[in-house]
Formats: sequence, C-alpha cells, structure tokens
Amino acid sequence: MDTFFLAIGVILVAGILPLTISRQFNLMKSSCLLLMAAGCVIGLSEVLSFLSNSGEAAAANWAWLQIFTLSFKLDTISAFFLIPVFLISPLALLYSFHYLEKPEQSTRTALNYFCYAILVASMALVATANNIVTFALAWELMSLSSFFLVVYEYQAKETRRAGYLYFIFAQGGAMFLFAAFGLIYSHTGSFSFEQVAAIPENIKLLVFILAFIGFGSKAGIFPLHIWLPHAHPAAPSHVSAVMSGVMIKMGIYGIVRIYSLLGSVDMTFAVIVIVAGMITGVLGVVYALGKQDMKKMLAYSSVENIGIILMGLGIGMVGVASGVKTMAFFGFAGAFLHVFNHAIFKSLLFMGAGAVLHKTGTRSINQLGGLMKRMPTTGRSFLAGSIAISGLPPFNGFIGEFLIYFGAFQGLGLHGLPFVLTTLTIISLAVVGGLATACFTKAVGLAFLGEPRSEAAAKADEAGFTMQLVMVLLAASCLLIGIFPEPFVQLAFNGMRDLNLVGAADPGLFLTLVRNIAMTASLFLALIIGITLLRRMLYVRKQVERGPTWGCGFTQPTVRMQYTGTSYAMSMVDFYRPFVPAKTVYSGISKIFPGLTTYETRVEDLAEKYIHRGLIRPLVKYLHKLRWIQHGKIQLYIGYIVLAIVALLIFI
Amino acid sequence: MESIISFGIAMLAAPLFPGVILKMKAFWAGKKGPPLLIKYYTFFKLLKKGSVYSNSTTFVFKMGPTVSLGAAIMALLFFPLGGTAPILAFEGDVILIFYMLALGRFFTICAALDTASPFEGMGAAREAYYSTLAEATVFVILVLFYRLSGALSFAEFFSGPAPITVMGPAGALLLLVIVSLFMVLLTENSRVPVDDPATHLELTMIHEVMILDHSGPDLALIELGAFYKLFFYAAFITHILHPLQYGAPWVNGLVFYGIMALIYAAVGLTESIMARFRMNLVPKFILTSFALVFFATILTMGVIK
Amino acid sequence: MIQLADAFLAVILLSVLLSLASNRLKALVKIMALQGIMVSLIPLFLAQHQTLEGGALLLMQVMILIKGLLIPGMLFMAVKRVSIRREIEPIIGYHASLFTGLMLILASAFITDRLQVAMPGNQVLLMITAITTLSAGLFLMMSRRKAITQVIGYLMMENGIYLIGTALAKQTHTMYVVEFGVLLDLLVAVMVMGIILNNINSAFDDVDTGFLEELKD
Repeated sequence: MDTFFLAIGVILVAGILPLTISRQFNLMKSSCLLLMAAGCVIGLSEVLSFLSNSGEAAAANWAWLQIFTLSFKLDTISAFFLIPVFLISPLALLYSFHYLEKPEQSTRTALNYFCYAILVASMALVATANNIVTFALAWELMSLSSFFLVVYEYQAKETRRAGYLYFIFAQGGAMFLFAAFGLIYSHTGSFSFEQVAAIPENIKLLVFILAFIGFGSKAGIFPLHIWLPHAHPAAPSHVSAVMSGVMIKMGIYGIVRIYSLLGSVDMTFAVIVIVAGMITGVLGVVYALGKQDMKKMLAYSSVENIGIILMGLGIGMVGVASGVKTMAFFGFAGAFLHVFNHAIFKSLLFMGAGAVLHKTGTRSINQLGGLMKRMPTTGRSFLAGSIAISGLPPFNGFIGEFLIYFGAFQGLGLHGLPFVLTTLTIISLAVVGGLATACFTKAVGLAFLGEPRSEAAAKADEAGFTMQLVMVLLAASCLLIGIFPEPFVQLAFNGMRDLNLVGAADPGLFLTLVRNIAMTASLFLALIIGITLLRRMLYVRKQVERGPTWGCGFTQPTVRMQYTGTSYAMSMVDFYRPFVPAKTVYSGISKIFPGLTTYETRVEDLAEKYIHRGLIRPLVKYLHKLRWIQHGKIQLYIGYIVLAIVALLIFI
Repeated sequence: MESIISFGIAMLAAPLFPGVILKMKAFWAGKKGPPLLIKYYTFFKLLKKGSVYSNSTTFVFKMGPTVSLGAAIMALLFFPLGGTAPILAFEGDVILIFYMLALGRFFTICAALDTASPFEGMGAAREAYYSTLAEATVFVILVLFYRLSGALSFAEFFSGPAPITVMGPAGALLLLVIVSLFMVLLTENSRVPVDDPATHLELTMIHEVMILDHSGPDLALIELGAFYKLFFYAAFITHILHPLQYGAPWVNGLVFYGIMALIYAAVGLTESIMARFRMNLVPKFILTSFALVFFATILTMGVIK
Repeated sequence: MIQLADAFLAVILLSVLLSLASNRLKALVKIMALQGIMVSLIPLFLAQHQTLEGGALLLMQVMILIKGLLIPGMLFMAVKRVSIRREIEPIIGYHASLFTGLMLILASAFITDRLQVAMPGNQVLLMITAITTLSAGLFLMMSRRKAITQVIGYLMMENGIYLIGTALAKQTHTMYVVEFGVLLDLLVAVMVMGIILNNINSAFDDVDTGFLEELKD
C-alpha cells in the first residue's frame, strides 16, 4: 500500500511542479511528463505485482478532522481498474506534449497539467477508497478536476456550456450517490464499506438503483449520457482520451463495487443492468452513426461501449442469480476485459481525432477525406483502432465481446426471464457489432480515405512526433492483445478474484478457449500475409497503371459528389427513426428557375429532447417565480445564511 | 487427412457452382447459357491481366480483396464439408467465424470508400446497412442451434450427439431456419431479390458497384472470396437439410455436392422468378428472416420445456 | 397427433406475423382466410376434443365455411367493389409492426407461464397462440387506418377468442354454441361494414377512417 501512496505522491508533485516553472514551457512539459510517467510506472508495478500474486487485500487508514477516517483498500477489483488509470494517463500526457504547443498559453497549460494530475490521483483514490467519506471525497475531486479540464478553452461559449452541462450531471449524479450512501449509513450506522451487506434486502434494491443512477450518470448510461457528446468535443483531445477511456470506467467500477458490497443475488439487479446495457448499447451506436462531428461520434461510441460492458456485467449477474457458474464467470470476465480494451482503443481514437482536429481545424467528417495519404501514421493507427472498436478479430475488441457472447450463450439453457434476457442480449450484441462496423467504416472511409472534401483537409500534414508515437504504441497494443490475449485475460480473471459472488471457475475451459482464439487470430494473419504475397506474385511483370476513378460514365466528377457521412448513415439511422428523431430543414424549390436552396438534417438526441422538454422547461418555469430571492444585495444574503444556521440549530 | 482433402475439393469446386446458377437462369429464360465452367475461365482470364488503380486509392484499397478472401477461407476451414470433420474446430468458433466475415466486409467497404466514387459510396452504405440486419438473424440462428444442440461450433452442430437436421425432432422449427437462412444467403451474397449484379445501372446495385474499380487479379481474388462465401452459406443449409452420416466418405461427398447443386439451383430459380426488390423493401425482407428464426426460438421456449 | 397440432399452431402464429407485415389488402384477406381455416381445424387435433359428435362436427364445418370462405369472400368483394386502394396505409410502420408481433409472442409466452391455468390438454403453445392472435388483432385495429383493416383486426381477435375457448374448454358442446353466436355477430358486422364502406366511399371518395372524424360536430 505504501508504494501505491508513493505513486500518488509523485503524480501530485507532477501536477504541482508545472505551476512553479510555467515560464520554461518545454521544461515544464517534460518535467511534468517525466514525473507523471515515474508515478504511473510505480503505481502500475505495484498493481500488477499485486494482481499476479495471490496476496491479501492491503488496507490503510488515516484519521481526518478527528471525526472521519480516510480508509483505503487495494483489492483485486480496484487493482484491475487501476491498470487503465496508470497506463493511459502518462501516454495521454505524452501525446499532449505536441498537442498543447502554444508557449504563450503556458500558464493555462500548467493549470491544465495540475488539474490533470489531480484527476489521475483522484481516480486512483476512487478505485481504492474503502469507506463512504473517502469515496465521496475522491469522487467529488475527480468530478471537479475533470470539469476544469473540460473548460480548458473557456473563451468559447460552446465549451462553457458543455462544461456547465457536465458539472450539472456530475453533481446531480453525486446527489443520487449520496442518497444511496445516506441510506446505507442510516441502516448500518457506520461509514465503512465492510458492513454494507448487512442492510435489509428490500433496502438493498433501492440502494442499488440510486447508486446505479449516480454511477450511470458518470459512465454515460442512456438517458444520463447527455453530457458526454458535449463535454468530449469541448475538452482538449488528451483530456477526452482520458475521460472517455478511463474516467467513465470509474462509473462502471462503482457499479461493480456496490454490487459486490451489497452481496445480493437478486435477479432484479441483473434485469436493471442488462436492460440499461441493451438500450445504452444500441442507441449509443445509432446516435454515433448519426453524428458527423468526429469527437461527438466517438463520445456516443463510448456510450455504446459502456452498454456492452453493462451487458457483460448483466450476463454475469444473471449467471450469479440463476447459479450458472460459467455464465457468471464469462460475463464478468468479458466486461472487465472490455473495460481494459476500451480504454486502449478509445483513447487511441480520440487521439487520432485530436490529431486531425489539430491539423485541419475541423471535426466534421463531411469536411475531411483523403487524410490517409497526408497523415499516414495517424491514419493507420486510426484504422487499427476502428477495427478494434468494431469488435473484429484479430484485434483486442473481439476478445472481450467474445467472452460476453460465450457467457450469454451459456445462459440459453435457462427458462423464463433469464432465457429471454440472454437471447435479447445476444441479439443486441450482434446488432451493436454490426452498427459499430458501419459507424467506424464511416469514420475511416470518409475521413481518411477518398478525396479531401475541403481545403483544410487537402493541406493537412502529419501530427507531431509524440502524438504519432503514442498512437502507434496504442495501435500496436490493440493488435498485440488480439493475437496474444492470454496474459490479459488472465489479468481480468485475477481482477475478479475478490468478486466473491462469482467464485472461482474452472480455468481450463477458458484458457483453451482463449488459446484457440489466439491460434485462429495468428492463423488468420498468416493467411492474409500469404494471400498478400500471392497477390504480389500475380502482379509480377504485369502492367499496372494509375488513373482517375471510374465515374460510371460521368466525365467530370468533383470531390463534392462523394458520399458524405450523412448520406452514408442516413438509411441506417432512418431505420431506427422512432428512437432517433432527425430534424430536417429544407427550404424547398419553388420557382421555375430555382434560386439558392438549403437542406439540413440533424440527428437529435431523444434523451436530450425529452429531458429538456419534460424536466428543464417546467423546472425553469417554476423556479422563475423564486427569482425574487436573488436580488443582488449582499447584506440580505448574509441574512439568509444567518437564518439558515439558526433554523438548522433549532431543528437538528 | 480426410478433412484436408475435403477442404481442397471444396476450394477447387466452389467456382463451379455459380455456373449452376447461370445455367438455371438460362434454362428458365429458354436460352442455352454460358458453359458450366465459365467462372473458371473468367478467373484465369482476370489473373492474366494487369490493373488500373485510381489516383485516390491507398493501401486499404488493395487490402479489400485480400482480407475478404482470407475471411471466406477461414470460414470454410471451420466448416464440416461433405461429412468430414472440419480442419479446425473449437467451442465458440461460430462467433469467431461470423466476426471474421464481418472483418472481410469492413475492408470491402473501406476499399469502396477509398475510391472517392459516389456510386461506390452508395453501394458501401447499403452493404453496411443490410449486413447489420442480417447479422441479427444469424445470431438468433446460433441461439436456436445452441438451444437445440447445446454447442457453439459447426462441428458439434452437425456431427455431435444431437445433430441439427430437419429429420430430427425439431424438424418443423428447422424448416423455418432453412427459409430464413436462405434469405440471409441471398442477402449476404448479393443475389436477386436483394441485389442484382447484372443490371445495367450502377445506381441500383449493392455489391457489384463496390468493386467497380478493382481490376485484374484483384478482381479475381474478390470473386474467389465471393464464391467461397456463397459456398459457406450453401453448405450451412445443406447440412441442416440432410445429415451426412453415411459410412463411406465418398457417399457423403456425393450426397453433399448433390444437395449443394440443388441449393444453387434454387438460388437460380429464385433469380428467374423474382425481380430485385425496391431498396426500401430489402430491410423488410431481411427482417422477415429475422422474424422467422426469432419466432422459432420463442417456440423452443414454449414447446421444448 | 400432438405434433400436428403444434405445426398448425405454428402456421397460425406465422400468419399473424405475416398479416402484420403485409402491405397489400388482398394478401391480407387471403392470409385471414388461411388463418380462419387453420383455427377452425385446431380442435380436430386436440386430445381432449377427440370425441367429436355429429353436432359439433357440423358446427365445425359451417365454421370453416364462414371463416374460410364467406367472410374473406365478402371482404374481397368489398375491396373490389369499393375499389379501395391496394396499399394498407399503416399508422405504425411494417417493421415496427413486425417487431411488435414478435414481442407479443414473447409476452404471450410469459403470460401463459404466469397464468398457470389448468388446461385440460396442457397445450402451452395453444394458449400462447391464442393470446398472441387476440392481442395482434387488437394491435392491427389500432395501427391501421382503413375501415376494412379494422374489421380484419376484429376477425383476428375473434380467432384468438375461439382459440382461448378451445384451450380452456373441457367439452366441446357449449363452447361451440357460444362461439357460433359470436361468429354470426361477426358475419353481420362484415355485412354492415360492406354497406357502410359503400356509403363512406360515395360520400368521401375514400375509405380512410380519418374522414369519420369529420362527422363529429
């Protein structure tokens, strides 16, 4: 445990140091980077050695303010969720070395690094917190620091709006969490996590639902995902990479933690999680298809992946509830592994989108094109990330999904509700898989392939060195995990060791399974290489020419005739019309010689629309009547405070 | 050893069967039709040619044919062809195989988008759309098969203790599966009534328009991949139609290829009597296939309890 | 014998799905004819109805006649005579209807599971089919615009009720009598509909039920 705190300390120093030496821009960046890397390596080594040794969970307690105890505990679940924290954070920081390259903004960069370090440290603390107070503190710290990271470019109105939206969701979610914690406290009379299992069964369900909403708003479960597609595009790319790749997983961690603490094997929990997962997964990917803003699309795709992870957890819970051990095991293992994999490829994709944004100044897929030639490294790594996130072999995304599938299939022998749930999960996974493929062929095919659709895209050049380096590293690890999944799957299994409900399953079955997949993946790669060589041979001494694309008889094609992201996705989005309202603005053609006409279609978010219509608008309407309270006279404000204190003293 | 020979025969024979479709269509049209071996002739003709590449394309364009062919070959490696055990098999291989095929599609779509042609983009969008629907059907079929056989591998489906066949106890359900699988076959392999590769207008195509810019050996590889994919789906149906459990391997093989020819003939018949659907009716077609199998799955819930 | 009954029930369920997905009126009427015949034949294959007496048999034959020929025939005439446009004009689209149909089957399976009614022949699938047909009929009435589809929906509901009766009843007599009464009602309904359709058609040049809204003051 001491090593862990040492790592946190080093990370915090890495945050504070830039504030003092912000004048030397490059020195500041590299020193922060080095310290962060050192801290994360220390943390990672501690976590990995803890996971690989079957040691007891380590704990530490500190008294704080005399009344509270800050209590930390490192068990295998925490350790597993700490891996992405310590792995992705330094890489994203390395990426930012060439991403934040304006020396005139050195103070702001320093502040950014400070908040970044706080975020990393607080995420690590969230994962190890072992009582209510500690958890709440770390959770709030995480929300606040990430809020400041989001509003990095605070001059833009859009960014501020996104920041406020995020803030509201973070705090609203936290309120639900506190409600859940309050319920726990009122029944156990203790802040400690250890006694949570003692509360009565009917309260457990309520606690779980409250906590699920609270954690769900952080993780981005539909319909609480609204902040994601606003906050991610607004934040700088290294921040979106960490937020999307790592931070929203803390919501998942929370769900797993509260589930394991409650220790209840009720089927209702499983139903909640699995249904939320299916809705989140399918709608997330459909919205991702409908969005033409690259970072928005990636944000929605995070929503989708949270859905997949939830489906995995749900399958695991169904397995626990109905006593099918293999199902429970594979479900949780798949979800855990997907948490890890998603951290890798989602941060990779955000970095790729960031590089494109950095070099072209636009995030709109409809303005891009042909970047594969101009940014070869970015393009290739983005391609790898896209295959991985579509869950296709031989990349890492497939392994997690495969385990979830396998777990779900084990549940098909059940009757009644569990059977229906697992069947629907399998169908949802298949639909999500297909749509994700469509979504990321759109991203790769329209942004990186074809011809540039705008001046900016035509003039783009390759991103800076550290950006390339990080992307190549991540892309390589995507492929590596896909081909040699065994140690990583083992890691996920080790991570589940402290998930007591699941229990230990026979490792033989899935080790052979994973080996088989690995074998097939390498066989496939060999086959592809073989066919490529064959193809090479077929082209020996053949005439190979270059020419324009065949225009089907049309002789003067322009780049604007290419399919755009909107047209590519239109029919698919159309299919889900009732759930995906699209707004079309068309001025129409009226005269015989029509003048300028406009046509615009935009996919709207169902949740956003209805939350605005059903919650915000009435709320604003009623709260407006209370406006007189806020009049701007400071003396009266102080009066309010005095009144409040008096009232509190009297009644409590 | 037997498996490898069987696999080799399948690899060689796959281009023969599309010829059956052509013959069948010609027969119904009252024509003589091209020779049965026509696909071999075109294949070798294409191999001899050179290629023209579009200026817009990158390496992804060249990976399209390679990966789609590789994926189709992988699918056949895991399939019990002609009554022999597949070369490779493990629990869960079906999921892997359908994801492999999806990978092939990923690259075909990307290769099409790489040419910057509006027509190929259109084809790509349609292919992506229809395959998302067909994928759901396929996975419900897997759910049903798991319900029936308790296995997740092609080898187990058809040669395990309770082989899946129309002759078996759940025959009525499997009839539904066969119909819907046939519909998936038509969709995934771009046949009439989903897609008509033989029309004169690129606007109305799906798969054929995506590979417009491929030429020479590249095109040959794509065609070969398409033959294997069609072969895979047809073999899938064949096994459900008739279990291959005769003693001698050559009898198995003969029966297998006989039924295969019948299925290809059925494809040809469908193409002769139907016209291509309007594009907005295709989703309904695929959804019908989904409804059929989903329905069969629900029945397993009520009946086989 | 049980196997054959199951096959028939499967066909009935399929016909329900088909009717939800079909976009042509004529096809819909044909499907309903098929469904009517199938539904009327079901008691033949059920163990508890094995001993059919003369009267019951006669009733059944009449039923096949009415459900399979008479009503569909009249509907067909209505479609032709009134020259209704062939498309069905759904309020809820075909895809969504198809999905709803599947969900209805699923829900019926659940309800049957929950109800735990004592069925003499313990025909689970029969109960599932019955509830699905009933609710799909309601759904059809709800989700289609034309007057004629309302009648078809009603017809389907009636089929469902009949199936429920078959599943629950131990003996055949009483049930058939009641059923027959309902059937006669239905026949009258179809006739009335024919007349009304004719009148609506001459008054509005269309048979959209939406036009009926104009009748309210």
